[in-house]
Amino acid sequence: MSHAAEAPRGLGTRLIQVASLVLVFALLFAATRAVPEIHEGVGTIAAVGFLLLAGTLMSELVETIRVPHLTGYLLAGIIAGPYVLKLIDHQSVANLGRANALALALIALEGGAELKLDIVRRSLRSLLWATLLQSTLVVIGVSAVFFLLRPMIPFLAPLPSMAVLGVALVWGVLSVTRSPSAALGILSQTRATGPVATFTLTFVMTSDVVVVVLVAACLTVVQPMIDPAGSISMREFQALGRELLGSVALGTTLGLVLAAYMRLVNRQLIVVFLALGFGLSEVMRFLHYDALLAFMVAGFVVQNLSRQGEKFIHAIRRTGSVIYVIFFATAGADLDIPLLRALGPVAVALATTRAIITWGTGRLASHLANDPPSVRKWGWSGLISQAGLALGIGASIAQRFPAFGDSFRALVIATVALNEMIGPILFKLALDRSGETSAAPAPARPSMAPPGIVSS
Amino acid sequence: MNALLLLMGLLVLSYIGSFLVGGRAIRGFGLPSGSEYLLLGFVIGPNVLGLVERSMLDAFEPIADAALGWLAFALGLDYAFLGHRRVRLSSLLVACSIALATGAAIGATEYVVLARFTPLTGTDLLLLAAGIGAACSETTRDAVRWVVERHRARGPVADLLGEIADSDDVVPLVATALLFALAPVEHARVALPGLAWAGLTLALGVLLGLLTSVLLGRESRLHESWGVLLGTSLFAIGLAVRLKLSFLAMMFFMGIALAGSSRHRDEVAVMIRPTERPVLLPALVLAGARISSHATPGLAWVVGTAIGVRLLVKLLVGALVWAGYREARPAGASLGLGLLSTGALAMAVGLSFALRFPGTVGDTILLTVAAVTIFGEFVGPGRLRASLTRAGEISETKAAPSEVGLAAAPSDPEALGP
Repeated sequence: MSHAAEAPRGLGTRLIQVASLVLVFALLFAATRAVPEIHEGVGTIAAVGFLLLAGTLMSELVETIRVPHLTGYLLAGIIAGPYVLKLIDHQSVANLGRANALALALIALEGGAELKLDIVRRSLRSLLWATLLQSTLVVIGVSAVFFLLRPMIPFLAPLPSMAVLGVALVWGVLSVTRSPSAALGILSQTRATGPVATFTLTFVMTSDVVVVVLVAACLTVVQPMIDPAGSISMREFQALGRELLGSVALGTTLGLVLAAYMRLVNRQLIVVFLALGFGLSEVMRFLHYDALLAFMVAGFVVQNLSRQGEKFIHAIRRTGSVIYVIFFATAGADLDIPLLRALGPVAVALATTRAIITWGTGRLASHLANDPPSVRKWGWSGLISQAGLALGIGASIAQRFPAFGDSFRALVIATVALNEMIGPILFKLALDRSGETSAAPAPARPSMAPPGIVSS
Repeated sequence: MNALLLLMGLLVLSYIGSFLVGGRAIRGFGLPSGSEYLLLGFVIGPNVLGLVERSMLDAFEPIADAALGWLAFALGLDYAFLGHRRVRLSSLLVACSIALATGAAIGATEYVVLARFTPLTGTDLLLLAAGIGAACSETTRDAVRWVVERHRARGPVADLLGEIADSDDVVPLVATALLFALAPVEHARVALPGLAWAGLTLALGVLLGLLTSVLLGRESRLHESWGVLLGTSLFAIGLAVRLKLSFLAMMFFMGIALAGSSRHRDEVAVMIRPTERPVLLPALVLAGARISSHATPGLAWVVGTAIGVRLLVKLLVGALVWAGYREARPAGASLGLGLLSTGALAMAVGLSFALRFPGTVGDTILLTVAAVTIFGEFVGPGRLRASLTRAGEISETKAAPSEVGLAAAPSDPEALGP
């Protein structure tokens, strides 16, 4: 995260960007109205191009009001998506969802590669306190509020109190999930360096491991609470142990192979990333390994056990810059706006509670760890965003508890949508305020090279 | 074979292609037209081994669309440029005339043959005959570059042939735009005459090319350059596919508009060039897998006619060039045989027809153009080399490819001519 930030743009450029954005929207609008019925998959190419173009332009425009690029990508997706202008249909959004594996692989690889061992060692005390308190106080606090809000949550009405408590605990654990993609997206845009950036990065990347353990433990405990016929089973932990160990082992091997590849060949990394994102992710899914963890470990290994770390990060950024736009814009298009409207009050209450407890816990953890003032003040800000992991857990809950699972999942989607929109804005604001956003001017015109094709 | 395996296979090909970027493929390894990948696709396709099923090919249609569109964009960006310099107007006119004559002759003859051997009538007959003509009208720049670079040919004839091969792409692509516009768009709420749809194809291409130029032209940043290029390209391809227009023509004109209006044309070309081969090889395999040996009755006649007429026209054209250009005299009257090679563009046009008009029309065009490409591969480069040797532009002592192989920078445009 040591690159210079980019110079501000002139009014002429902004006007051109607005005009271009309007033109792009108008063209797709005209095309979808001229030929409204198309067979499956035909709209996907236009959707990718549109989201990439509109997302890039929108991100530039929201930059003028100091809102992060990521929010611009989301906005472009929301406006064009199936719930607002309907320029992109559900089928295209579903098709684009398949590219998420690639984006998540890149995010995890970059996240792991950003974790330098000496930095992790230096912030170990902060990390331990934050992990301990965020994983306990947030779970307890949010679970308690969820339990108290039961009259506002319709799907809890038929459940007995013990079952509601079980569901509340699941919700509490779900609240501990963060969004590595959002954190990396903001850090990548702002090129921020400093204690807040470092703390957030290390915490968010390591918290994923904590969350998967917590989820497994929680499901084991709450199963008999929600379903009286169920019993506590250690099978969850067996499976979890296998998953974690397998993922770490595979990730380490992959990291060593990648480091060797970068040293000996160092070409066509874009193809390598595509193969990893689509092929290896699928293999890991088949083996029931955690792809995010495995890729994170791989990135960590490349960074800390070889000399290829910086080159590796650079290559991922060049490929990822395009992939992230599509990833976040698709996430925006997938946001269920009517659902968000319907569950708005509960979702707002739950998201606000989570944010407040996260803030309070963050302050306490920083105090106990004797963190620098900027981390005490802003360390919590990067922990608000939620995304894929929370949605994934929501989907798995829906599958496991069919009686209320779909409604639970809908509430997860609504709450994550709020956190997804507000979190990045808060984090960027924090980085700006703590002075970690780089203000150095960008080079006049960087030499353009295809991402990953020319060796770095 | 499942979709994931096919995707991995295509990625491997793309990977191999990246090592053949511009230079090496052209200077020694692989065939200029990439026919070997076409054959590979045919062998693994539903007609031979059946490793790739038809349904899977349909699922990969968006990838094929995107790959072909990208290639057409790259062609447009380099259109009428030989390295950094523009092709002479006279060469451009000659090139277009040759392509037009070739395409028209093949199309007209095929019309007669198809009417005799197939049950097709009306628009379908016209589409098929003219489609074959359009697809078989060009001379691939890759084959000429292959010979020129491999044998370090230098001189007016090499220069002229290079310019001709670089400038005739516009003919098949405009023809494709017109032919695609002949077929009505299903479910369209807007009724336009065919010519208007064709005009819309070119206009949208130019508009999006100018948009790309504007967006790249102001304070461009690295990540946005790729975001803008990929965004506008995929957007254009997507619009064309939705409106059932020729995405090849749209992308080609987008490339021309960008090259003509952007001060960053050279930088963009440098960005795009290394991606051509990695994109082309998987596209050729997909094209090969789509080839059906039972496309239409009287297939041998259709294919034979295309090859025969193309051979005759090229011979005639060669004779005219020989007679009209004093510098070309030493090359001999059979100079035209050196222009027999077709390649990436012809296959792209054939595949785009197969995707837009699945069934007899598309399959027949694809198979015919594949056969013409393979035939051209056997005849074109060898004859071209012989002509250039006769013209004294290739010295026998410096023709060893292994010595030349990596001497120049890969895809060095200056290696093409003075």
